[in-house]
Amino acid sequence: MHTLPQQLANGLFIGSMYGLIAIGYTMVYGIVQLINFAHGEIYMTGAFGALAVWTNLPDGTSIWLALPLMLLGGAIVSVLIAIAAERFAYRPLRGAPRLAPLITAIGLSLALQQAIFLWYPGADNAKSFPQLPGGPYHVGSISIQSGDIFLVCAAVVCMIGLAAFVRTSRTGRAMQATAQDPDTAQLMGIDTNRIIVIAFAIGGFFAAVAGLASGLKYGQVKYDIGFQAGLKAFTAAVLGGIGNIYGAMLGGLVLGIAESCASAYVSNIPGMQQLGGGSWANVWAFVLLIVVLLVRPQGLLGERVADRA
Amino acid sequence: MTTITKEQPTPAQAPDGGPLLQASGVIMRFGGLTAVRDVDLTVNSGEIVGLIGPNGAGKTTFFNCLTGLYVPTEGTVSYRGEILPPKPHLVTQAGVARTFQNIRLFSNMTVLENVLVGRHTRTREGLLSALIRGPRYHKAEARSRERAMEILEFIGLADKADHLSRNLPYGEQRKLEIARALASEPGLLLLDEPTAGMNPQETRATEELVFAIRDQGIAVLVIEHDMRFIFNLCDRVAVLVQGEKLVEGTSDIVQQDERVIAAYLGEPFEGAPADEGDAAVEQAEAGFGAEAEAEAGAGTRAEAGADAGIAADDAGEEQENDR
Amino acid sequence: MTDIPVAAAETAAVTTAKPSARRIAPFVPLPLTAARAVTLIGVVATIAATFMSWTYTTDFPGDLTVTGYPGGLQVLTLVSGILTGLFALGAFGLKGLRWLAPNHSHNAVLLLALGTFATTWYTVIAIAQELGGLANLDPGGFVAAVGTLVLLIGALALPIHRHPQEDPNAEYFELGRLSTVPVAVAGYKWLRELRPHHTDLPVPDPTRLPGWVQRLIITLAAAVGLEVLTYGLATGYTEIFLGFLIVVVFAIWALSASGLLRQFSGLTAAHRSFANTMGFLAALAYPFAQNDEHYANLGVNILIFGTVALGLNIVVGLTGLLDLGYVAFLGVGAYAAALVSGSPFSIWSGVQFPFWAAALTGMAASLVFGVLIGAPTLRLRGDYLAIVTLGFGEIFRIVVNSLDGVSGPKVTNGPNGISQIPDLSIFGYNLGDSHDVGSVTLGRFANYYLLMLLITVIVVLIFTRAADSRIGRSWVAIREDETAATAMGINGFRVKLIAFALGASLAGLAGTVSAHVTYNVVPSPYQFAGAAPPNSAFLLAAVVLGGMGTVSGPILGAALLYLIPEKLGFLQRYELFAFGLALVLIMRFRPEGIIPNRRRQLEFHEDETLVPGKRPLGDDTVPVSSAGA
Repeated sequence: MHTLPQQLANGLFIGSMYGLIAIGYTMVYGIVQLINFAHGEIYMTGAFGALAVWTNLPDGTSIWLALPLMLLGGAIVSVLIAIAAERFAYRPLRGAPRLAPLITAIGLSLALQQAIFLWYPGADNAKSFPQLPGGPYHVGSISIQSGDIFLVCAAVVCMIGLAAFVRTSRTGRAMQATAQDPDTAQLMGIDTNRIIVIAFAIGGFFAAVAGLASGLKYGQVKYDIGFQAGLKAFTAAVLGGIGNIYGAMLGGLVLGIAESCASAYVSNIPGMQQLGGGSWANVWAFVLLIVVLLVRPQGLLGERVADRA
Repeated sequence: MTTITKEQPTPAQAPDGGPLLQASGVIMRFGGLTAVRDVDLTVNSGEIVGLIGPNGAGKTTFFNCLTGLYVPTEGTVSYRGEILPPKPHLVTQAGVARTFQNIRLFSNMTVLENVLVGRHTRTREGLLSALIRGPRYHKAEARSRERAMEILEFIGLADKADHLSRNLPYGEQRKLEIARALASEPGLLLLDEPTAGMNPQETRATEELVFAIRDQGIAVLVIEHDMRFIFNLCDRVAVLVQGEKLVEGTSDIVQQDERVIAAYLGEPFEGAPADEGDAAVEQAEAGFGAEAEAEAGAGTRAEAGADAGIAADDAGEEQENDR
Repeated sequence: MTDIPVAAAETAAVTTAKPSARRIAPFVPLPLTAARAVTLIGVVATIAATFMSWTYTTDFPGDLTVTGYPGGLQVLTLVSGILTGLFALGAFGLKGLRWLAPNHSHNAVLLLALGTFATTWYTVIAIAQELGGLANLDPGGFVAAVGTLVLLIGALALPIHRHPQEDPNAEYFELGRLSTVPVAVAGYKWLRELRPHHTDLPVPDPTRLPGWVQRLIITLAAAVGLEVLTYGLATGYTEIFLGFLIVVVFAIWALSASGLLRQFSGLTAAHRSFANTMGFLAALAYPFAQNDEHYANLGVNILIFGTVALGLNIVVGLTGLLDLGYVAFLGVGAYAAALVSGSPFSIWSGVQFPFWAAALTGMAASLVFGVLIGAPTLRLRGDYLAIVTLGFGEIFRIVVNSLDGVSGPKVTNGPNGISQIPDLSIFGYNLGDSHDVGSVTLGRFANYYLLMLLITVIVVLIFTRAADSRIGRSWVAIREDETAATAMGINGFRVKLIAFALGASLAGLAGTVSAHVTYNVVPSPYQFAGAAPPNSAFLLAAVVLGGMGTVSGPILGAALLYLIPEKLGFLQRYELFAFGLALVLIMRFRPEGIIPNRRRQLEFHEDETLVPGKRPLGDDTVPVSSAGA
């Protein structure tokens, strides 16, 4: 179970999830230089949205039939919240000093988390989430759960879709332009407000996908999964190069692999026996962040942030 | 953290006429774009040098290379014979101060506080000194305030010392930026479009100010679009077009250089540049001083009109691009 | 008497509207005499009602059943009603009370009437709701309700200073798409004209009074402040705390609206050290003013929390660095102190440092971590600091939780923490024992309160001295525009690191005391956000809510944020939600916080300008006396 290929595979899976969430952070930061702290909760509410759809479907519905509906449900929730946040919480603060939208984001994150805790029935404990049948599948020495397969497939599809969108569609290119130089983009006739909303929406959608995948993988969701995941995901975004969507996914994968290898192998290093194990995984992720910031602060693939000097 | 107030040797002690700033072979590349191509520029002490060129020619980028905001891809910049380190605060410490194209005052600090911040690099009291508040601290603070007020009086803003800088009218904000830069006791002052957005009276006043600064022993390198301002003021003018230095020399040489005229100045005596700026300039000149009225010959009037028209054109163009 | 130049106010902005444009108009159209009469009738009725019984059962806390003797919430209505009456008479021009309306405006009366109305109706509704029906109200309750309503109507009919008429050509871009809809614009315009406006009315200069009178006023204000705060802290049940809050908020608002607050600011500005001394004495008197250990405990915690917030204020408020894991520095200090405290659970149980050494240890430990975290991160873009500090906050708790010898080397004793921390003994005075001072017994918490008060004073001194100096200016310059600041010769990284390290060490200092106060140190409180303070989100909110960059702002913010969940127990479940929502709303509508740093308020409200009068005295002109005790 603790073989290297297994750890790498585990890291890949969890990393894909981080990557999907990280995309939302990185897109928003690239354009408006805002760390959307609420994004972690958007991921969480997406998961709950999917769960809500499931609980309201008639008993005995096949999971395969329900899946697209759940995705739709989660996506609607996430995207709506993301767009509302942009419109009502962040946009009015566009000209304000940097601290203001950051604090708003923190408040929003808290409020969203608590809202689910208070008003989603039974959310104070973990809610069980349906899982995909079948598996675990074995490829060589690696064991793969069906939830993992869904996760990786979803991540791949989303990335390809996003890459195509950004490269070829008019809106995608407009997004690139806005990310590089918002003032000039505006002068060129690009409706930067609309672009920003789209960025939030795409981020929200990806977060919903991640939320659904998380539920399928772990078989449960809880109101507080957003905070940790959000922190990790932003770390991943920084790792890969903030503002860079490919960097976000790459950063996620790197982080995931680092985490799972650290949990498994650090205890084998002489003198560090007690520093391995699950609870220390987060510590090593943090250390990785610090190291990257020291050594290559622009991230693995380089930053893509608007120059607002 | 010592409490010694260290004062820069006054610029009068600097070698006269010798080279103060020497930029050689400065090249600045951003990815595929070369913004500054192999530019050499020297500023000698006691000089006022102008840097002109169309928008996008790389003038501000060049400034940024001089002051360490950008690290030049190639080339060196040295001040008083020593190569400048690529960190803005060290450049200022060495004695080169600057203003910005878009005003960057500390809007929520008072006028006096802005100037006091400018003086930061010439004093040494650190946190410990501030906490203990010994006699050295008080002496240094008093000296700083005194010096700051001197500069404000020199600039003409002393009576507004306690106003918040964001409340100053535009022209005074520009003056405050200059005052703030002066507070670091530079030997060389870099001015980036100091008269942008100013009316003709304010522009003349700024001209006087720059002369006064030069008389204090501080050399000046100024980027401007207002041709009259540049040619009145500068001992030498360098022309930058698309990152390259086209020509450098006295005002006359530059004004008559064909390439410069073609690329930038336009035909000097033709046409009626019937701009709003024209009438205003004439009005200002009428009230301005003996010089303008004494030379009220037809030729010079036309020249003045043409220059003003061009300047107004440039200014208009400039403002369009700014927003 | 000469007028105080208007800008000496600690609150906002002056519009540059000419006085003739200012309007005085009542909200309810009544002739002046009628309005005054109705107001006074309302006052009398309200006061009379408080002597009646409002309910016949003692199930409602505070015993409102007695006729002839106001109890519980009736006292609040009584006090508010009397204040309203006094201010009304002052505004009407009654000799001897005219000093209550130095700006000759009736706005304060309206605000006090509102406060009285609000607290009374809250009481009445609470009675009905909790006891199950209006039948539980005695006639006294109805008299109170009607009386305060009459009072409010009367006050609304008084000539109120209002915002000037809107420019008929004004465009309201803040309405967004609605700004082209005539109905929406008309409605918005009507709302804007509805607002009362009293900030630019001139008031007489109080420094013309004889010196001893000025100092007496300051002393009385400190005493009153102490009483009010003690009363508030000692409120035993939710309803009365809410009523207290309502009355206090409206009373302070009214003080501001009458111009009295501005005069008081002028007084304290003229007698800075005296005012500060009075404030300190008031804070000192607090544990002597009430004997209950529980309230001394409250006091200590507020001081600790407030001091930590003040440290964060240096990092966030002055320098503009967003630190989201600040509470970890508090924890580092606490653990460091615990380890050297001689506790049997410490791995160095043989060591017992005297207090000064423990404090230095705590500060040094936090300083080290501050530098470790800051050095790599402060060179980078500012937003990265937020994430790194957030991570550090989380990591701290995890690490400390795991260093229990099982999942990590044995240092901090894991989730059980280090307990049985012995009490401090300073110069032979054991803080754990009760001591009798005169007729008053100082219990354990009272002792620690006094120690913490001393430390708070030191931290305040550090803050003010640092802020108003070369290094403080460089911090603010960095916050305002880092590019320009570096162009002025400021070494951004160095200056930011100093701020960050100083903030961390101050938190460490507070942590040292906190370890001894709570007997033990455990990992669980050191989170980003949680139900009980201290946690990083609360600290950040205390600074933001209280007022960034000011001295008393963070302390006030800390006090409020600590007290409100403590006192309003029913809110426990909704606390974090309300809290998050509050952050969003504050940043949207009043980002400068409660005590505005004159500068920050202008930063956020771009349409107003400030005409300078007196030389600005520093970031806030509210004296320390309103903090703490």
